[in-house]
Amino acid sequence: MPLEGHKGGEVMPDIYLVGVGGQGIVTASKIIGDAALLAGKNVLLSETHGMAQRGGSVVCTARIGDVHSPLIPAGKVDVILSFELLETVRAACNASKRTVVISSIERIVPLSVSSQKLKYPTLEEVRASVMRSAKDFVAIDAVKLAEGEGVKMSTNVVMVGALAGTGITGLQRDHFEKAIKMNIQSKQGENLAAFGKGFSETVRLQTPGNH
Amino acid sequence: MLLLGNEAIARAALEAGVSVATTYPGTPASEIGDALARVAKDAGIYFEYSTNEMVATEFAIGAATSGVRALVSMKHVGVNVAADALITFAYTGTRGGFVLVTADDPSCHSSQNEQDNRYYALLAGLPLLEPSNPQECYEMTKEAFELSERLELPVIVRTTTRVSHVRGPVIVGEIVKGRKKMEFVKDPSRFVTVPAVARERHLVLLEKLKEAEDLAEISKFNEMHWIGKTGKRGIIASSAGSNYAMDSAHSLDIEVDILKLGFSHPLPSKLVGDFLKSHDVVLVVEELEPILENAVRALAQRQLLKTRIIGKSDGALPRAHEFDQNIVEAAIRKAFGIKGESTNVPMIPGGLPGRPPVLCAGCPHGATYFAVNKAVGKKAIFASDIGCYTLGVAPPYRTADLLICMGSSVGTAGGLAMVNDVPVIAFIGDSTFFHAGIPGLINAVHHGHRFLLMILDNRTTAMTGHQPNPGSAVGPSCCDVTAVSIEDVVKGCGVKWLRVVDPYDIKMTTETVKEAVAQEGVSVIIARRECILLARKDKTGVTAKKPHIDQTICDKCRICVDKFQCPAISSVDKVQSIDETLCAGCGVCTQICPSKAIKEEK
Repeated sequence: MPLEGHKGGEVMPDIYLVGVGGQGIVTASKIIGDAALLAGKNVLLSETHGMAQRGGSVVCTARIGDVHSPLIPAGKVDVILSFELLETVRAACNASKRTVVISSIERIVPLSVSSQKLKYPTLEEVRASVMRSAKDFVAIDAVKLAEGEGVKMSTNVVMVGALAGTGITGLQRDHFEKAIKMNIQSKQGENLAAFGKGFSETVRLQTPGNH
Repeated sequence: MLLLGNEAIARAALEAGVSVATTYPGTPASEIGDALARVAKDAGIYFEYSTNEMVATEFAIGAATSGVRALVSMKHVGVNVAADALITFAYTGTRGGFVLVTADDPSCHSSQNEQDNRYYALLAGLPLLEPSNPQECYEMTKEAFELSERLELPVIVRTTTRVSHVRGPVIVGEIVKGRKKMEFVKDPSRFVTVPAVARERHLVLLEKLKEAEDLAEISKFNEMHWIGKTGKRGIIASSAGSNYAMDSAHSLDIEVDILKLGFSHPLPSKLVGDFLKSHDVVLVVEELEPILENAVRALAQRQLLKTRIIGKSDGALPRAHEFDQNIVEAAIRKAFGIKGESTNVPMIPGGLPGRPPVLCAGCPHGATYFAVNKAVGKKAIFASDIGCYTLGVAPPYRTADLLICMGSSVGTAGGLAMVNDVPVIAFIGDSTFFHAGIPGLINAVHHGHRFLLMILDNRTTAMTGHQPNPGSAVGPSCCDVTAVSIEDVVKGCGVKWLRVVDPYDIKMTTETVKEAVAQEGVSVIIARRECILLARKDKTGVTAKKPHIDQTICDKCRICVDKFQCPAISSVDKVQSIDETLCAGCGVCTQICPSKAIKEEK
């Protein structure tokens, strides 16, 4: 996959992270931030705290490079890293022809589906919706990959691995691995393995013929 | 290292040798206190989660007027509570450095209003620093202590959500231990603000403001950024607004001079005046109120300048909600006549299932609200308050009809009850009750108001990240605390009818509410059950048995999804089921199912 996010010769990717409160999105953004810092790059993260965390939609941003504002301007998102399928659709309006959408296929059915009898979209509907504006769509079974490593809670690390595997960030694998150790104290070995699973998955999906 | 803006403020306070730090938690300020609470013991400082922002400020005033350095942090609306102390404190001034951090919340991400607290600097007459990123949070907080001691004035550091909750690289220094003990030197002609003293001290304050302006003129936080060679186009910006201005100038690839004001009150009139003189058109970029803009316009009038000034008053920039780069880019195009279309801000497509924040699976507030709805139906009026339980406003509970501010449930309930002939129920959390509910309760008892006050005691300040409150037996790392009994406080206020219930017991809670609303005068129910997030963490208070829905018995009445709201119970394709991972095992759903189809697993 060619590198997007070139601004004046430097790789300055803008990453938009979405999901549901409690999925470890802030931790994922901190791992990306520390990885960028380890690579000697400037980085700004914006985080969601407070009321929204009570099971609501959560948005974090990570901007790598020489920027002043942590919020990504419209049309400049390079990657949408989504931890939940419905949130992928909600975030897709921020996608443009430069945007790669990496989405976990995990479904956390919101109460509105039950109470207002609304329909939760299928994976194919999500893909079709995303591809109306985005450059590419990569679906990851993050829960299965995390469970395979015995860390069910680490789907966020799998997703960071999936992001790293695309090469879009311009950061090295060992920067991410060091950043994981800085941010996660328990079960580091398993978490690194979960990261590796996510990494291999996007590498595999991007190999011609597999996608 | 990578620090949150709030963490950078806490770090800077430690490096400045702060001795005393206080707060009342509130988004987006909470992480300042949380960081200090964790390290207070090791750092050798005194830290407390005070009962409210007023007490937090007063406590710190006591310490700082004795000569030690003190930090007080709060969210923007917290300053309303602290304002009575703050404004007169500007008259007495301080001895030790005193820094008040206010974290504003443009766009009300987690707040009931988006007031602009820079007005407090104008109202009280205090120096104001406005960081725009974590590194500046760190540098300005350190500088604020120096400034405070030099001027002998409290100094306000004002952040916003996009400064406090931004994580970025910060270069830090060494932590310095502050002095723990001091001797208060008596000086009633300065510190006792009887009218004769206050009149004199106001004059002293005005003199100090002149000195502060001189310091603002030469402050390193008021800096010029020349982008290209212009001399014609200028931007004056502060806080997050300056970030958008800088990024916009680069993305539009234009030549413009940006005067970034970090020490913005008192306004450095020479610096700003010179900037105006040397530019034809100046755009003022600030979020929320046109405070800089009005000051700049007044300055231009005083100096009889012809510079064209553009901002909010001509509609180039909005006065409500936070900015983003697209908004600022559009304003720059308009101000300087730059051609091209700004990218439209994307719209989230309609028809998608919404995902607002909700009460958690196993939340005791949800059980309370279910019982209240059962007891009084829709006829009652519900006065709500600030906390997780405000989420009861949404269907199916709809248990919030009026919400203004911290503690308003108790005060407004009295007025509602006086002029309405239906039951009135006020809901307040344990932390909020201690914070601002007690005077309202005394008022209700004294005047014989008739309503039910339900104190939703989940043993913590949950919404802001589970900080302790006066009801807690464990405090921050530095200090032992004494748990204050809510029952004792309620009885001490003169309440005659008081019951304590476990909200997980739906039948008991429902019956008690029915009995309470039949009382003359004020009745109080304490609905006590630990926050489920804490209970799940320490594995107390929840049963290991997780219920399931027996589909052979379920008659699809939908009460479990239409009248009760639990994130673990869903209804997809007309079949109701319980998600075992999300289920907290509270067992409340087994009590509410009329056909007894929800059973605890063996």
